[in-house]
Parts: sequence; C-alpha cells; structure tokens
Amino acid sequence: MRRPPLLVAALLLGGCSGEQSALDPAGVHSGAVLHLFGLFFWICLLAFALVIAFLAVAMLQARRVDAAQSERTEHDAIASRLLRGWIVFIIVGLLILTLGSYFTDRNLALAAPDTGQSNRVPIRIKLTGQQWWWQVEYEDPNASQQIRTANELHLPVGVPVHIRLESIDVIHSFWVPNLAGKQDMIPGRHNDIELLPTRAGHYRSQCAEFCGLQHAHMALDVVIEPMADWLKWRAQSIQPAKAPAGAEEKAGYAYFMEHQCSACHSITGTPAFGTVGPDLTHFASRPSIGAGTMPNTRGHLEAWIANPQGVKEGNHMPYLAVPPDKLHALGAYLRSLS
Amino acid sequence: MTPQKNALAVCARLLWLLGVATSSIAAAPQLPLAPVSAAPAEDGQWTMPAKNFASTRYSALDQIKASNVKSLGLAFTFSTGVARGQEAAPIVVGDTMYVVTPYPNYLYALDLKNGGQLKWKYAPKPVPAAQGVACCDHVNRGVFYDGGRLFMNTLDGQTIAVDAASGKEIWKAKLANINLGESITMAPLVVKGKVLVGVSGGEFGVRGWLAALDAATGRLAWKAYHTGPDKDVLIGKEFKPFYAMDKGRNLGVKSWPPDAWKIGGGTVWGWISYDPDLDLIYYGTGNPGPWNPEQRPGDNKWTDGIFARDPDTGSAHWFYHVIPHDLYDHDTVNELILLDIPVGGRMRKVMIRPERTGYLYVIDRASGQVLSADPFYENINAYKGVNLKTGRLVTVADKEPKMGKVVRDICPTAPGAKDWNPSAFSPRTGLIYIPHMNLCMDWQSTQVSYISGTPYIGANVRMKAGPGGYRGELTAWDVMRRRSAFKIKEDLPLFSGALATGGDLVFYGTLDGWFKAIDARTGKLLWRFKTGSGIIGQPVSYRGPDGRQYIAVLSGVGGWAGAIVSANLDPTDPTAAKGFVGAVPDLKQRTTPGGTLYVFALPGR
Amino acid sequence: MCSRFLAGSTMMAMLLLSACQREQRQSSGQPLAETAPASVQLPSVLIAGSRPAPTDPRGRLYEGNAYFLNEGQRLFEQFNCTGCHAHGGGDIGPPLMDDEWRYGGQMDQIVASIAYGRPNGMPSFADKLTEQQMWQIAAYVRSMSGNVPKDVASSRADELASTPSLTRTPRQPIRGEAGGGLQGVAP
Repeated sequence: MRRPPLLVAALLLGGCSGEQSALDPAGVHSGAVLHLFGLFFWICLLAFALVIAFLAVAMLQARRVDAAQSERTEHDAIASRLLRGWIVFIIVGLLILTLGSYFTDRNLALAAPDTGQSNRVPIRIKLTGQQWWWQVEYEDPNASQQIRTANELHLPVGVPVHIRLESIDVIHSFWVPNLAGKQDMIPGRHNDIELLPTRAGHYRSQCAEFCGLQHAHMALDVVIEPMADWLKWRAQSIQPAKAPAGAEEKAGYAYFMEHQCSACHSITGTPAFGTVGPDLTHFASRPSIGAGTMPNTRGHLEAWIANPQGVKEGNHMPYLAVPPDKLHALGAYLRSLS
Repeated sequence: MTPQKNALAVCARLLWLLGVATSSIAAAPQLPLAPVSAAPAEDGQWTMPAKNFASTRYSALDQIKASNVKSLGLAFTFSTGVARGQEAAPIVVGDTMYVVTPYPNYLYALDLKNGGQLKWKYAPKPVPAAQGVACCDHVNRGVFYDGGRLFMNTLDGQTIAVDAASGKEIWKAKLANINLGESITMAPLVVKGKVLVGVSGGEFGVRGWLAALDAATGRLAWKAYHTGPDKDVLIGKEFKPFYAMDKGRNLGVKSWPPDAWKIGGGTVWGWISYDPDLDLIYYGTGNPGPWNPEQRPGDNKWTDGIFARDPDTGSAHWFYHVIPHDLYDHDTVNELILLDIPVGGRMRKVMIRPERTGYLYVIDRASGQVLSADPFYENINAYKGVNLKTGRLVTVADKEPKMGKVVRDICPTAPGAKDWNPSAFSPRTGLIYIPHMNLCMDWQSTQVSYISGTPYIGANVRMKAGPGGYRGELTAWDVMRRRSAFKIKEDLPLFSGALATGGDLVFYGTLDGWFKAIDARTGKLLWRFKTGSGIIGQPVSYRGPDGRQYIAVLSGVGGWAGAIVSANLDPTDPTAAKGFVGAVPDLKQRTTPGGTLYVFALPGR
Repeated sequence: MCSRFLAGSTMMAMLLLSACQREQRQSSGQPLAETAPASVQLPSVLIAGSRPAPTDPRGRLYEGNAYFLNEGQRLFEQFNCTGCHAHGGGDIGPPLMDDEWRYGGQMDQIVASIAYGRPNGMPSFADKLTEQQMWQIAAYVRSMSGNVPKDVASSRADELASTPSLTRTPRQPIRGEAGGGLQGVAP
C-alpha cells in the first residue's frame, strides 16, 4: 500500500468525527447500548479502583510482618468487615449489571415494534451482502416505487427501519456502530435488524464478518437526514436515470451499453440490466466508490474504471483495458447520473 | 281376472314404465356442447391443429370404433427428415395432408390420393442461430389452412403464407428478433382475415406480444404486448375485467419493479380459441421473467393470465389473472375449450382450461368470471386452491422459492401438472381427455442478470416422479359432475396431444413411442402400436379420398420432456433441460430420436 | 536430531512451494491483458501429412490454477451459461461434461467458441466478457469433464448439488484425443 500516512490520518480523524463510532450514538438502539456500556464501565471502574486500592493497602501492610498480636486481630476484623462489604458490593454490582442488561435487551426488542402505528410505518429495506459490496433495495407495497441502489443507506430521522439481511455468497455482517449492533448476513437464510435514527449526519458502516480478500474495503455510507430531505431523495431515486446530454456523455453511454459494463451493472431506463455488480442509476450522488473504498470524485472514478484490481485487488470487476478517450467519456456519463 | 281389470293392470304398468323412463332422462345431466358457430359440423377434414375454433379436437367420424379398432393398421408412413421433437398436428384439407417439421421448419404436402406421396416441399430456411434461443427443443406446433393458403411460423420469427396447391411462398413477415431471445414455435390462428401470431422466449426475458397480420398481404394490423403501459397492451375503453385485482390503470407497469416489465415475459406460445358469436379471441399468456420471483416483486401483470380480445382491433375486453406473481414458471398458455354448459339452472357460455397448476378452470367466456377450479391433478401441494370471490390463486408459504435455499418436493413441477399438449373433448361422453404428468421438483432461486439473447431464469431445478412413482397420467374429466371419470397411469410423462373420435375412442401417444387407443367411456386399452420414436405430437383424424377414416400422428421424441434424447443431454446432471432430465434419466434407454408421420386405417379395399 | 529437523523442514518447504502455483493470481497491481486466440484449428481431418497446430500454452496456465477455476465457476453461473448448458448436462446448448465436442474441447477452442460464438446458436461474448474471464470460464468448462488436475478442481458447488464433486469427476478425454493432442496425432 502506498498511502499509510493517509490511512493513519483517516483513522485518527475517523476517531474524532465519530462517523463510525459506537461511542457516538445517533440512534435509539446504539443509545441504549451506550447507556449499558456506561453502567458497566463505571461499576467495573469502581470495582477496579477498589481492587487496586486493596492491593496497594495489602502491599503496604505486608512490610509490617512483625506486628503485634493485638494489631493483627484488629487488622483481621477490619479485613473481614471489608471482605463482607466487598461481597455485598459484588452481589449488588452484578445484580445491577444483570438487570441493566436484561432491561436494555427488552428495550431494544420493543424499540420499534411492528404494530399498526400508522404514523410510524417502518421503512422496509432488503440488504444483500455480496463480495464485497452491498445491494440495497427499498421495498414498497407498490412494486414500481421500489428503489434499488448500492453501498449507501439513506434514512430519515425518527422513523423506524426494518432491514432484512441476506447474502448470496459467504457470511457478511452488517454493523453501523452509530446506530445499532452487529447482525450477520448468512447465505440461505435471512436475518432482521431494526434501526431508529435520532440524529442527522453521515455515518459509516463496516462489514463485521471476515468475508474474503477485500473484507476491509466493504463499507456502507449511511446518510441520516430530516424527513423533508429524505423524501426529496426518495422521489429522485424512483426516477429512471438521466439520459446523456452532451457528446462526451453520449459516447460514454454508448460504450457502456455495447461493452462489458451493461452485462454486470444495471441502470434503470437503459438496456443495462445486470445484477452481478452494483446498480448505477444514481451513481453520481453516492458518497463513495467501491463500497467505501474511495471517495466519489472524477479522478478516483476514472482510476477505478481504468484498473479496479489495482484499487481493490480480487474484487469481481475485472481489468477492462478501456481506451483512454473512452475512459473519460465513461467517467463523464457516470458522473451525470445524479 | 276380468278383461277390464287386465287392461287396467297393463295400462298401470305402462304408465309406471313411462314415469321411470322420464324420471331417468330428467336425472341424467345434460351433456356440454361446443357452440355450433365455433365447432361446425364434421366435414372429414382437419384444417387447423385444434380442429375448430372451439378447440374440441374431436372428430365425429365413427368408422373406427371399439369393436374394430384392434385391426387398425398402418396405411402409410412418411419420414420428415428431421429427428427432433415433433409437436405439430398434421393438417388435412381435401386430398392433401400438410406436415410442418421442427427447425428447419420444412413444410410438406402429401398426396392422400397416392398413398401419401410427397407433392411439394417448402423450405423457409430459418437462420441456424435461432436454435440457440429455443428454450424447449426446436419444435413447431402446426400450420393453419385458410382460403387456399397455409400459414406457418418459423423458429427465427417469421410468419409465412404458402400457396396450398403449389407450395410457393406468397408473403413473408419478419416478426421476432432472435438477438432479443425471441423465437416463434406456436401454430398461427387465422380469424376474420387476420393471422394471429405470438412470440416465444419467456426464458430469455422477452417482452411477450401477440400480433395480427393481414392474411392477404402479411402487413401488421395490430400488436398487443403483455407488459407495460395500457396503450401497448391495447387496453382501452372496452376493457372490463371481472375481478378487482385486474382493475386499474397501467397495471402492466405498476405491478413490476421499475423497468422490470421491459424484460418481463408474458409470451404467447400456446393456443388461441375464437367465439364467432361473441366475436372474441381467447388465449393465455406465459410466465413472467425471470423464474426467480424475488427479482420481480408485485403481481406482474399481464403475465400468466387469460385475455379476451376483439380480433379486428386487438382491443382487450377482459383479463383474468390466473397466477399473480408466478412462483414456478407456470405458463398459462394451455388450450381453452369453448363449451356451453348449464350452470345453476341456466346455460352459460364457458371455456374449460386444464391449467398448468393442476386445476381445471371453468370460466365464463363473456365476463371472465371463474365458475369453478377443481383439481384434476391429485398431488398439488404448492397451491391451496382458487378463491372464487377474489379470483386469486392461493399459494403455500412453505413451498415458495427462496434465494439460496433449496425448497424441496414442490408439486406440480415447472412444466406443470399439464403442459402445452392439448386435451380433447367428446360431446358423446361429455368428458375431457387430459394427457398430463405427475412430477415434483426441488427448486433453488439464484440471482440472475439479464443479458439479451441469453437465458434469464435464475433458478436451479431438479424434477422427479411425483407421489406414486408414475410420471404420466391420462385423466378423463366429467365436466358436468366436476370430477374425474377414470384415470390411466403411465410410467413416462404424457407430452402428446389427445384425439377424441365419434367411434368413442381416444388416441394419445407415450414418450417411448406407443400410440394408444382407449375406450372413451371406460378407459380400457383397446389398441396400441409401437412407433419408431416417442410421441409428443397431436393426433388427428380425417376421411381419406377412399372414404375410410384415418388416424395420423407424428412420432419424434423431443420438446421439453424429451430433450434428453433429441438433444443428446447427459443424465449425470439432473438439472439439465431445466430439471427435466432428473425426471426422465432413463429415456435414452427407452427411445431414440425420430421424425416420422404414421397414418393408420382399418383394412380396406 | 538436526538432520531430521532439516529433512522435515525441507519437505515442508517443498510442499508449500508446490502449492504456490495452484493459487497464483495476476491481479496484484499489474493487470493482465489476455486475448482470445485469433484463430483456432477445429477438430478436422489432417490432409496430406499436415501436422496439427500446437496447443496454446495459456491453456495449461489457466487449467492448473484453482483461483481461475473458481472464478470460472462463478462466471459460468453469473453470465447465464447455466441457462443453456445447465451444470454440464446441457439444455438449449449441448452438454459440456461428456466427451463430445462439436467445436473442439481444447482450451483455446473453447475460448474461441465463447468469444466468437458458433453458427448453431452459441452467442458471441466478445464485448461482454473480458478475455481473461473467457479463459477462466474455459478452464471451468474443462473441469466439468474432469480434464483438469484433481487438486485444483473446485470442490464445492454453491448451489443445488446435483452432480458429483468436480474433484471426483471421472476424466472424459476428448473424443479421438490420444494423450492430449488433436485427432490423428501419432504419439
């Protein structure tokens, strides 16, 4: 890798911004978990402090081995009282932790119940993990209003989300630290997870189950926004892709449809119907390329198309040997798909 | 006894007898009848594959009957020169018989005055690459005779009008594009000077359509698609579906995910019937694409349903969605037998459809209302039945296909309890003779990309024999009593058509080449003949120039059921031929490829 | 003691090194631009003492590599090959797991079939697959008839397991093939 300093900086910055941090909850589920974490932390910290204190006292007291008999019995009495107190502390502490766990768990289970609350009809999403990207489908009782996108999750604040997790190849795991815990995606069965975002912002999800060579580069952009903005995004996403306008975009469109691209990718409103790779209908409005591997800019996009294996070795987009002029045209077309 | 008392006693007895007679006549249910306008009186010919517009496939000729059929023998044979699945019905007009073959779709005219000698041969020369987009062997289901011309379809999507006397081509119309996976295998139907042709390719993501060409010139009169906006589907002011689930605007777009209707299937490759009184054509549409149902949530209109249309304009009058959101590739393109039957005290104009799902539908052909849907196939476990109030087919959640999971023992299998091979109706017995299958399957859905010109399926299927171990069955269904009168079990799936005759006989063929005649009332096997190859064709009957009754059938195994033989597939892979090889891995040991016409008659002068 | 350790570690090293080739990939930074063979000789009569064309060396490279076979298996399903050829048993297209090859069963002949199509219905994938993907699929196709080394054949089918494992598929030599050559080759 040629960019370790950048990576380190990103990690440090990542830690600061809290875009992938379980300690910065933006949803009900992660909030509940953070409270529980806090409870555990402080009680265990107290226990740790007490243990260290006792240890220190014991080490200091140990020097005085020739204490008189009366002093020793006095110490024994103190020690046994302390011991009784310690046992009580342990019992009470464990009880608090157990009850805390239990009630948090119950709380999470009922955080967004699937009952007929008409003003909080949950958003239903089907998330399919593939090596090494995410297929996201927003379900709708009206089939023609379904949205299919990839590698990004747009959600409104305050509305419960039910995500059905599936996988078509190996076990992946969906984890948005700011919103909830981890849930595996196992081929051949489906799991469910609930989210209830409470704060707007951009967050990052990461695949949490080792799934192959590029497991580390399987991230998901999670965008939480106010309801009005989300509805705008939704209305825009239901639209088919924009037709290419300028000459360069048209050339890119022609290359896309005549060559390998349309066999793997789909763009609504065009003859491309592939499901091997991500849907690209509104590609230009996505924050990143390659499931969070690179930001979505002109340079990165063309670098990706020119040599996907150099960026994300082993991923299923092959080296295509695109001629340079067609590369610019393709890039122009894809950047017009907002 | 006094003479007066004697007379009285006799009178009383006579009256009693009269009462018994009349009451027994009143107790016997009235037999269904095909409408005369759609099923005209017998003329000894067979001018269209279904025999008539009502699709009865019944010949009133009765020279061959139960008492003499055992002496039925070969009159002549003719080798078509093509050893693939022979699904066509030989057509007989006057003294000539016309036979069309699978690709390369040769059309032969045989002189019946001269022992079946070849009169002329027409070779349309379809493009060889068309063989790559034919899902289920290179079959052709027959030609249609009208006004001195024969109308035929070719595998590469052309409709051709050929002069019946000389064999010269009159016009040729290119309708389908093989690069989109389109091909044509059905027999055309000519109604009021319009040639009706539908496209095949539901396994290739083809957007299905039915076209009408002017019979004189071959120019396109109208074309109705089966997915997409109402104006493409020719749904207008006259459209009045019976059920609420079929009412609404642009359902051909709304019941699909965005753009999926463009590659949605709904092809027409089966049978069309016509009612001259109501002036409506009736036909069913094929499966939605892909087979994997999770890639196309929604009801998927207008696939898997029955349309009634005006033949002049193509405008739809009603539609019944037989299978909303098809789960198992259950095309609904089977034959529709038009009958008039008494229902609830009054005569109803109905159509009878032995469906792929295993239910026998009786549908009012004026309104599209389902009057009954009784199972003629006993081992259905994928469906619970039809809700007659809403018209909706009820599926079983446990048997729904899932991506990545193998759902086992789904009955009936993908080709259905009964595939395209048509049944026959006898007005003398009131029974419908349904040749069908008893197969079940394991199914695994997979994600599939649409690449035009390649299959768009998304399912791994493996078929096997159904409960009981027998793979085929002939059911004689009593229309009035709504139950089967008798059933004949067969070892191999039945993929041939049936023929009913006035001599109270029913003819059908088995997949290993036996051509059989059974008693139409009891099902007893009366005669059989071993032909050279498995039979998947449609038997016909006609009166020859010498006045004798003849029975003709094409023998040549293939189609979806016989692909293992005709295409020489490998039985080690039970998912070959979309799973059918798993059902008949022994077929190569039972029969070999062939392509011969067999014509039988009683020994005569 | 020391000699035993030396012998043992040498053997281990040999075993490990011999496995290197099985998993070699060419995607680390340096992309491999493969091409489909410009022309191939189909199985034909060799007249007047002419000799068969030499086999393309790339065939061996792809056939002996487990990664390429695995990729070929994935692509075989994803590009709808199973729609016409099922899992080797055939359907619309001929079976691929037997010994009969209409257009040749050598690696380069299979790649040419995929790239250029064939007259009786095989489509041309020229612009829809990269050439390297075609070689990978061809290698997988060869494995369906047992014609690849057993240790590189894919041992696992991710779908409805209907055929015996490819590691146990008996070898079906191409009809007429004598020790790996084209028809009529004298060993």
